[in-house]
Amino acid sequence: MKTVSIVTSLKNYTEGTKMKNIVIIGGGFSGLATANHLARKVDRKKVKITLIEPKEENIYEPEYLFWVFQDKPISNLLKPISKLLSKKVNWIKTTATKIDPEKNTVITDNEDNIPYDFLVLATGARMAHEQVDGYCTADNVCEFYTKEGVIHLKEKLREFDGGTIVITPTTVPYKCPPAPIEFAFLLDKYLRKRGIRHKSTIKFLYPLSRAFTMAEPAKRVEKLFAKRNIKFTPFFNFETVDTNNNKLLSLEGEEIGYEGLIIVPPHEGQDVIKASGLGDKEGWITTDRYTMKHTEYNNIYAIGDGTNLPVSKSGAVSHFSSNILVKNLVAELKGKEPKVKYSGLTICFIITSFHKSMLLHFSYEYPPKKYGLHSTFLFGLFKKAFKYAYFMFLIKGRL
Amino acid sequence: MTEFDIAIEVDARGAFCPGPMMELIKAIRQAEVGEFIALLSSDEGTRVDVPAWIDKAKHELTKLINEDGFDRYIVKKLH
Repeated sequence: MKTVSIVTSLKNYTEGTKMKNIVIIGGGFSGLATANHLARKVDRKKVKITLIEPKEENIYEPEYLFWVFQDKPISNLLKPISKLLSKKVNWIKTTATKIDPEKNTVITDNEDNIPYDFLVLATGARMAHEQVDGYCTADNVCEFYTKEGVIHLKEKLREFDGGTIVITPTTVPYKCPPAPIEFAFLLDKYLRKRGIRHKSTIKFLYPLSRAFTMAEPAKRVEKLFAKRNIKFTPFFNFETVDTNNNKLLSLEGEEIGYEGLIIVPPHEGQDVIKASGLGDKEGWITTDRYTMKHTEYNNIYAIGDGTNLPVSKSGAVSHFSSNILVKNLVAELKGKEPKVKYSGLTICFIITSFHKSMLLHFSYEYPPKKYGLHSTFLFGLFKKAFKYAYFMFLIKGRL
Repeated sequence: MTEFDIAIEVDARGAFCPGPMMELIKAIRQAEVGEFIALLSSDEGTRVDVPAWIDKAKHELTKLINEDGFDRYIVKKLH
């Protein structure tokens, strides 16, 4: 009886009204998970869900870090979107170039106008490589945030035979805050394995007074840095790179030399957000931190790395906030108030070697609490289970 | 709210990660020389980080106002 009443109420929410259009821009993790989750919650006869995404494949980004150091085929990290997206979702393989929030329309690069009743912006972050002088011309300036970057870095590391490697973010915010720390730990292990650690210096430069954004985990990270001879420079905010002289310059006026430079590329919001005036100066979508709605337009929601939420740009944030977004959007379709609030819940994973890690969780209301996951066996199991869960459950909006 | 002409106000209350400090640095990059920025933070670590960074980066912490449950930092961009 209970099941029937829930199904009946879901199917009746648009009774007597015209078909509603939900349009989702972006087919990364956030867009796919939200589309799939919504597809299970709404009646397709009453609500049409459309996803706009030009790419054919989704890539499992958490594995990039390991992929730099290991010989694994790229195919391990890719899945076709056609196999991840619910058949109830209408997929348009094109790029959204502009949104007209007054006319409730999305304009695509082939000049189609796609109308919406509700819009979900899952546009993600853009890697703005062009902001780093010499990134494209200097062979020893590398990154591990894109598939192409990983391929290049992998090759450069194989050729590396000693000297100074500098690791630093170039802008804040960026995706996965612990990633550069994790990279430093893995690089240390990799160079030891190759027997060239004694003639290599690893320097980690960070914008804050400590080696991580949060004070308690930072203490642990700095202890491990000291133990592994990773040299840490605090308050280094990347300003520019002099590729002729292999020098890095900071906003604070410091200069640091390198043989190899590994950056977190500059991040910013997508062009479609900038072109539509829906973001801040850097194109991050201005988003209500609790309701996941756009701060100005009541029928626009935002999710994932493209938002300006004061939390990590990470899959965990996307996952937890996507559940809130879906509940609120379904409530609105039923003519109810969207009352569910995102608490800022985040789970963050700091990898300290190829077999060990720390787990943290925190929210808007409480600071990071630590969970240990130091055992090799547990870590290996978790890593494998998480990749499986990512493609089988999380991206399908099933958890 | 304050006697300063605030060009950018950053509300970082409730933020632990990526942190109010990073939000301030973002605002410093966006502001013009001579402009004031207000940073609102409820994070205790900010009380140590912000003055230390401003000192290193040679900007000015013009005023620190303790409000109900958070601090308001008034920062002037000097260069």
